[in-house]
Amino acid sequence: MSALRNVALVGFAQGPIVARDRHRMSTEMLYPVVREALAQVGATRDDIAYQVSASTDYMDGRPFGFVAALDVMGSWPPRQDLHLEMDGSFAAYYAWLKIQAGEADSAIVCGHGKTSEGEPERILNLALDPYYQAPIGLGPTATSALQASAYMARTGATDADLAAVAARSRAAGAKNPDTQVREAAAATALQRTDWAVEPLRTGYLPPIGESATCLVIAAEGKAEKLCERPVWIQGVDHRSEMQSLGARDLSRSAGAKLAGEKALAMADVGAAKDVDLVELMATTPVEELILCEALGLDATAKKPVVNPSGGPLCGHPIMSTGLVRLGEVFRQLTGTAGERGVAGARRALAHASMGHCLQQNIVWVLGAQRRWS
Amino acid sequence: MTEPPKEPVKYVDANVYLPYHYVAGDFRAIYLNGLREGKILGSKDSKTGKIFVPPILNSPESFAPCEEIVQLDDRGTVTTFCVVNIPVIGRDLEIPYVAASVALDGAAISIFALIQKCKADEVRMGMRVEAVWKPAAERTGDHTDIQYFRPTGEPDAPRESYINRL
Amino acid sequence: MADIRADPLELRTAMEFPYKHSTGQTIGRFLAGLKEQGRIWGQRIAGQGVVVPPLGYSETDSSEGGDWVLVENTGTVTAVAKVHQPIERLHPEAKPFAFVLVKLDGADTALAHLVRDDADKVTVGSRVTAEFLPEGERTGSLRDIATFRLAD
Repeated sequence: MSALRNVALVGFAQGPIVARDRHRMSTEMLYPVVREALAQVGATRDDIAYQVSASTDYMDGRPFGFVAALDVMGSWPPRQDLHLEMDGSFAAYYAWLKIQAGEADSAIVCGHGKTSEGEPERILNLALDPYYQAPIGLGPTATSALQASAYMARTGATDADLAAVAARSRAAGAKNPDTQVREAAAATALQRTDWAVEPLRTGYLPPIGESATCLVIAAEGKAEKLCERPVWIQGVDHRSEMQSLGARDLSRSAGAKLAGEKALAMADVGAAKDVDLVELMATTPVEELILCEALGLDATAKKPVVNPSGGPLCGHPIMSTGLVRLGEVFRQLTGTAGERGVAGARRALAHASMGHCLQQNIVWVLGAQRRWS
Repeated sequence: MTEPPKEPVKYVDANVYLPYHYVAGDFRAIYLNGLREGKILGSKDSKTGKIFVPPILNSPESFAPCEEIVQLDDRGTVTTFCVVNIPVIGRDLEIPYVAASVALDGAAISIFALIQKCKADEVRMGMRVEAVWKPAAERTGDHTDIQYFRPTGEPDAPRESYINRL
Repeated sequence: MADIRADPLELRTAMEFPYKHSTGQTIGRFLAGLKEQGRIWGQRIAGQGVVVPPLGYSETDSSEGGDWVLVENTGTVTAVAKVHQPIERLHPEAKPFAFVLVKLDGADTALAHLVRDDADKVTVGSRVTAEFLPEGERTGSLRDIATFRLAD
């Protein structure tokens, strides 16, 4: 472990999360965000060694659409570049690996996705296998509902429990000017919303949004020059689970549990509950309950605060939602989270997931202190 | 029964249906609206002064914004070209025809264009051409508002005037 | 940056991809079993038991699939998602229906499928039976199982 480099988040910019921006394409939404992130760290694009972007071409409705993002990421003279068809949090992992490999000292990590142009419910059907799962018409809301029913059957959780989780998110989101839905909602009101796919109600589902995000990370030596209060990566781990929904225990997240254990061990932190705040990419109340169980967290406890940003239930810009969790932790630990700030926060955990029913999970442990001396 | 049939089903059909509701973006909207008005618009790199056509938000080269919209002349110089001898789906063109890159006067980069009103083997690098527009009433704000480019009859442009605008 | 604004220009269109996915031996023979025999086959997989539907390999340790095992057309629902407003050309049914995961009797994993009728009555733990399309209408697809029906 001592061979690892200290790497930090040093800048983060995020466009407004909106249901639909009728004036700008995905790349046009990203450009001002990349510029803002670079301005935050006082760097030109030439000062940054590496770039990774996260998007999915199906969402943009154009094959190799991701190459259009190169123009708005400042890719001339030709840069070392990587694209991932995964949320930006996973892209950040690959940037971190590149820095660990000694091939770069800094990177920008971008997430973008014009979710209003395509229909995520149909597009994400195609993320299932074409023989056994996609042909019956499963989409992300349906698979999330299957997961919810399995969890509720195992634990006895009720509709009211789900409403309570959603209401807590909404109350937190009301203090977050950077999220999409900024209105608190009472659990009882959410419980009266229509079924989306039962047992999930429309009030328990995230608003699908579009945005663009850019995170800047840098290795020790450079990070301190780019940022007064670098947020150090103390541990990270990424796990994938099998694709067959019926072969997994959907009511649990083995992947999040293992990723959490490994990331915490890397960070030399005893347990997830020892951090000050946690940002989970939970796109349903049940995902939050499952993730909390996997990580040993109680979201109703005073510490750590779970999703002080309001989480994805208040804003779900697909392909950036996980990267926003890292951005939120950056804001929290640099004291720039405003009204949603967790006082005195020194250490945090950021999670992201991708795929149906939490198929892939990544867990980051971040802190104000360097991990390795 | 001890096993399924020996002969497998070889394929499954998946008829994927994906509706899209695209946003052109303001820069493309401005460009396409310009075509309807018989104008070719570009945008100017705030750092280098280079003019990109169609207009774009930022220069891929300098990374600077390009937000000043400028009108370009609808004439320019053939840079590279090819003679097409195969039919193209969706276009009703007599074969062979010439598809060319045309560097409009003042633009830093060239646009793709069809060259007509001359024999295919007469087209050459440096040849001066001009846009032939559809009548105003028929223009819809579409690339086909420019029907094609045709030779102007001017002397060829010197190589150095277009060699960096291929 | 300057504020460039134009009236939004938008375009509605749709893409259709008529894919033909190759099946291979295991998935292909499983589907042949549905089509020709009207029966559901699983495969014995190290560490997972009898996997239905089978892939020919283990998703946990990538070992090769073992013997074919015939499972029952009856089973128990392990998860249910009730669709109240079906989406045209995505969902297989225009009226409210349920997606289910069904652990068939004799299987150790669950099959994802549908309950078309009485969807409001299905719960985790419900007993269901696979109902096949008539023999001449089966095409060698998972949808040769027309629906799962709640047991009386």
